[in-house]
Amino acid sequence: MNTTRSKPVTGLLTLAAILVAALALSACGSGMNGESPEHEIDEASSHAPVQPAPKDPHAFAWLRPAGAPDGWRSSELPNGTARMAYPPGWSPIQTDPGTVTSALRDHDGEIRGYLNATPQQGSETLVDWARFRPDHNADEGDVDLRPIAAASNLRFRSGRGSCLIEDYRTSSDHFYREIACIVAGAEATTVIVGAAPPDEWQRQAPAIERAISSFLT
Amino acid sequence: MLSTAKTRIAAILAVLGIVGGAVAVPAVARHHHHHHHHRGIPQNNGGDHDADNNGGPSDGDGLI
Repeated sequence: MNTTRSKPVTGLLTLAAILVAALALSACGSGMNGESPEHEIDEASSHAPVQPAPKDPHAFAWLRPAGAPDGWRSSELPNGTARMAYPPGWSPIQTDPGTVTSALRDHDGEIRGYLNATPQQGSETLVDWARFRPDHNADEGDVDLRPIAAASNLRFRSGRGSCLIEDYRTSSDHFYREIACIVAGAEATTVIVGAAPPDEWQRQAPAIERAISSFLT
Repeated sequence: MLSTAKTRIAAILAVLGIVGGAVAVPAVARHHHHHHHHRGIPQNNGGDHDADNNGGPSDGDGLI
């Protein structure tokens, strides 16, 4: 009698044990190996999902590590961990504390070319750069993001880096194309961004690419 | 015996409820962490002069 009556209960206990084990494994798996649960963060982001930039190393064939051309000036990060060169005619502009920015402005003060170097400070890494940067720009309010190309393990003067090219429109309704690279040097990891409006890109890209090629961190 | 079975079923459901709740908590905690990094340049008008707020491109900061 007892055996017959307890069978459903035993079955329920077994089922419960299986469910508990499955839930526990699921909880452990989401934080396993120290991986950043960025896909979960994406789901919680307020913006629409942004596709990572597609891998295309050929889009970065211009990256040839070399010193800046004669006549260029350079700015060093306040913490001394990176140096960014900029072409004649460009000037340092107001920038976040701890960063350096130079820009080329037209007669109306509009930015026609832009270079910025910023120490790594968030959760960005060389591995996830093709996904992180577009997603981060969207977090900051940029829209119409169009990641164009990305590559990793690129050679810089003082280390390796990951880069991407993308188009976007800022929250202030300005369109830009950017090359954004995260570079891991011997002592620091630093982000360098070069940007210009799409209608100015062909004119400014050579200087921006040269500045990134000469970047030291 | 029937009463014992009901008690056991109630206990099982209670355990499942507790485990389910425990699983849900880390998801909230992870999201919270995403928006509160503890190093770097002050953000949200705490020193951040993001150029895109003034018509310029996005700078290289990795924080919101």
